[in-house]
Amino acid sequence: MNNFGVIEVASTATKTTPGWAYVPDTGPSLSATALQPKNRKRAARNTQPGLSLSDLTARQENKLRKDLEALNRDNQRDVNIPVPSSSRSSHKHTPTVRKILQSQKTFANHLDDYQALLALAESNPAAVVNNPLLFLNKPVVATSQAKSASPAPVREKGGSKRGQAAAKRAAVKAAAAAAAEEKEEEEEEEGRKRARQLAAEGEDVEMIDSPAAAPDEVEKLVETYPADGTILPAYNERPPAAHPGDDDPLLVSVVPSFPTDEELRSLMTAPPLSYMDSRAAFGEEGERYPIRVFCEMCGYWGRVKCMKCGVRVCGLDCLEGHREECVTRYGL
Amino acid sequence: MAPGRKPKSAGSALPSSTLVLDNGADTIKAGFVTVDDDMSNKAPRVIPNCIARDRHNKTYVGAELEKCKDFGEITFRRPVEKGFIVNWEAQKEIWDRAFFDDKAPQRCDPSTTRLVLAEQPNSLPALQTHCDQIVFEEYGFSSYYRGIGPSFNAYQDIQAIFHTPRTPDTIIDVPAEVILLIDSGYSHTTVTPILQGRPLHTAIRRLDVGGKLLTNHLTRLLSVRHFDMRNETYIVNEMKEAACYVSLDFKGDLDKTWKGTRGERRKDYATGGGIAKDYVLPDSHTRFHGIVRDHEPGAAARAMKSAVSTEDILTLRNERFSVPELLFNPTDIGLRQPGLADLVMQSLSVLPVGLWPGLLANIVVVGGNAKFVNFIQRLQVELLERVPDECVVRVARPEDPIVSTWLGAANFARHEHADRLAVTKQEYEEHGAAWVARKFALGLGVDTLR
Repeated sequence: MNNFGVIEVASTATKTTPGWAYVPDTGPSLSATALQPKNRKRAARNTQPGLSLSDLTARQENKLRKDLEALNRDNQRDVNIPVPSSSRSSHKHTPTVRKILQSQKTFANHLDDYQALLALAESNPAAVVNNPLLFLNKPVVATSQAKSASPAPVREKGGSKRGQAAAKRAAVKAAAAAAAEEKEEEEEEEGRKRARQLAAEGEDVEMIDSPAAAPDEVEKLVETYPADGTILPAYNERPPAAHPGDDDPLLVSVVPSFPTDEELRSLMTAPPLSYMDSRAAFGEEGERYPIRVFCEMCGYWGRVKCMKCGVRVCGLDCLEGHREECVTRYGL
Repeated sequence: MAPGRKPKSAGSALPSSTLVLDNGADTIKAGFVTVDDDMSNKAPRVIPNCIARDRHNKTYVGAELEKCKDFGEITFRRPVEKGFIVNWEAQKEIWDRAFFDDKAPQRCDPSTTRLVLAEQPNSLPALQTHCDQIVFEEYGFSSYYRGIGPSFNAYQDIQAIFHTPRTPDTIIDVPAEVILLIDSGYSHTTVTPILQGRPLHTAIRRLDVGGKLLTNHLTRLLSVRHFDMRNETYIVNEMKEAACYVSLDFKGDLDKTWKGTRGERRKDYATGGGIAKDYVLPDSHTRFHGIVRDHEPGAAARAMKSAVSTEDILTLRNERFSVPELLFNPTDIGLRQPGLADLVMQSLSVLPVGLWPGLLANIVVVGGNAKFVNFIQRLQVELLERVPDECVVRVARPEDPIVSTWLGAANFARHEHADRLAVTKQEYEEHGAAWVARKFALGLGVDTLR
C-alpha cells in the first residue's frame, strides 16, 4: 500500500484536530490497518483487538476524548472577557505580585510545568535540589519516625468470602508497603549521609523544617494529658446493658483490631499526594463491570450498533434519526 | 534562635477579626468572625466567583451578577480552575470589589485581620505559593492560614448532622474524632478521611466529576433532543438544580421513560410515568427563571404549533436522572474512573481495617451536588453492597451543604488550632514563601493532640 509514507496516527495528545506525522513505512502495521481498512464495510465491527477497549475504534476513542474535553469547558466557545478597569488608584505592586497578576497561564500549563519538574527531579536530582516547588514530594522529617511494619490485621475466620479476599489483598499490600518503606528508609539514610557530607564540605545546608509546635508548648501539654493518652482515645463511657443474646455464637460480630498509635501517627503526618496521584483510577482488577452503553438519541440502553460508525442506538426510530446525521458526516 | 521560641509578646497585636473565605470555583463564601461571636446564626455571604458578560456586552463582576436579569447567552470567566485559584488578575478584581474597595459591602482592613482560606486538597505547589505571595505582598494580611477545605468541616458539631441520640450534657468534641468527608463541588468530587481534624493525606481520592461536567452533559443531551442550548449554560444549570435527581432504581426509571419500539405505545411514556417533568424556559421578558411543572401530555407540541406561543416547554425525561448518575457511574460517558462508592472503597483500602467502622459510620457529604434528591440514600445503598456486613454505614449531609465548609472554617478560626497554624506577616517576611508553604503542608502534627 503506497501512501507516500503519510499515515494518520491516533495520538492521545490533546489536540483538537487529528494529528499527522511522518513515520517510516515498514509493512502493514496494526494501527495503520485499523485506521485505513481495505474493506470499508462494517468498519465498526472490524476493529483491532487490544487497540483499546474492544468496543472502541480509534475514531470513537478520539471522539470520546474530545467530548470529555468539551464537558470540562466553562463556556461553549472561547470567550475573552477582559477585567473591567477600576477607577481605583493603583498602588505599586511588588515584582512577584506583578508577575503573578500578569501570568496568563491556565491550570493545564501549571500542571505540565509541575510534571516536567517532577520528571527532571527523577532524571537529574541535582538540578532541582533547591527548588521550593518540590517540597511536597520530599518526605517531611516528621514522617520518618515511627514507621510500622506490622502486618495488616487479618480478620478471624467466619467472615464472608469477600471479606477474606479483601483481607488477603490488604495483607499483600501491607507487605509490599513494608518493603517499599524499608527501601525508602535506606534511601533516606543515604540522603542524610549525602547532606552531612555536603555540610561538612560547606557547600549546601539543608533547609530546616518549621517545627510543628514549640518544644516548651509540647512539654506543657504532655503534663496536662495522661501519659498513656492515645491518638484516638478509647471509649470511656459505660458499656450498654448486657443482653441475653450476647453469648449467642450466631450474633457475635468480628471487630477488627484497632491500629496502633504508631500506624495512626504515620498516617496523620504523611505528606500530601501530588495532584496526579490523588486522581482515582481503576486498579489492577480494572473495571469490574462491563461499560454500560446508551442510545445516542434518546438515552435508553444502546441495544443496536450503527453499522457505519458504531454509534449505539436503541431501536429503529432512533436509528433513522441517527442515519440522517451519519449520512451527512460519512456518506452513504 | 529557633522560630518557635519567639517570645509571645511579638504576637500581642493578634488580630481580633478573621476573614473566613471558602473560595469555590462557582461561589465565594465569605464572612467575618471574631472570638466572642455567637456562632448559632452565623451565615456567610455567597458571592458568585466569576466575571460575566451578557449578550448586550455588559460586564458583571462577582456580586454584581445579582443585577443581571437576562441570563440568555451569558458567558463566564472564572478565576478558579479545577478548584484552584489560577487566574489572579480576575480573582483580585473580584476580591477587591467584595472586600477592599471603599464601597465594598464587606470592607476590611487586611493589616488588622487574619485570613483563613479554604483550598482544595492536592494542589500544585506553584499555585499555593502564588496564593501565599498575593495574600502577604499584595494585601498584607497580618496573619494567614490556608488549609484544605474538607478538613475544616471537622470543626462542626458533626453528630448533630447525623441526629445521633445523646444526653444534653454530652460534650461536643471539636474537631470531630473521625469523619469521612465527601466534597462534591463544581469542579470535582473528593473523598477525605479525617482523624481529629487532621486529614489522612495518603487516602484522599479525587473523581473528576463535578457540577460543571453535569451541567455540560445536560446541555449536550438537550441540544441533541430538543433545542440548541449550548450557549445557555446558566439556564441549563438552573434546570439541573431544579429538576435533576439521583435515581434509586436506574434500570426501572430508564424503562419507564422509554418511548418503546416503533409503533408501540407505552403507557408510562404517554403519561410521564411520574418521572417526566415539563420545564418552562425563561423568555427574558416576563420570566427570568424557568419553572418546573408536572408533565402534561401534548403541552409541548401544542405550544410549538400555536402561532402565538407564549412559552417554550422542554419535557425532561431520562435526562432528570441520567445526569447525576455520572457521579456513580462515570464510565457512562467514557470517563475511566470509578464511581463515588468505589472511590470511597479505594480511599479506605489504603487505611487499616480497624479504622473502617468509624469512618463508614460518619460519612458527611458537602458541596452543591449533595443537594440532589436521593444523593445520600443512593450512596448509602451502594456502600452497603461493598462493605463487610458488620459495618454500620451512616451517610448524612448538613442542612446547607454549600456553606458547610465555611461554617467549619469559621469555627476553626475561633479554635485554638488557628493560632497554632496561622503564619504572621512578620514570619513570612523573615522566612519566605517556601517556609510558609512547608508549615502549612506539615499541618497540626500529632505530638499535641487537641
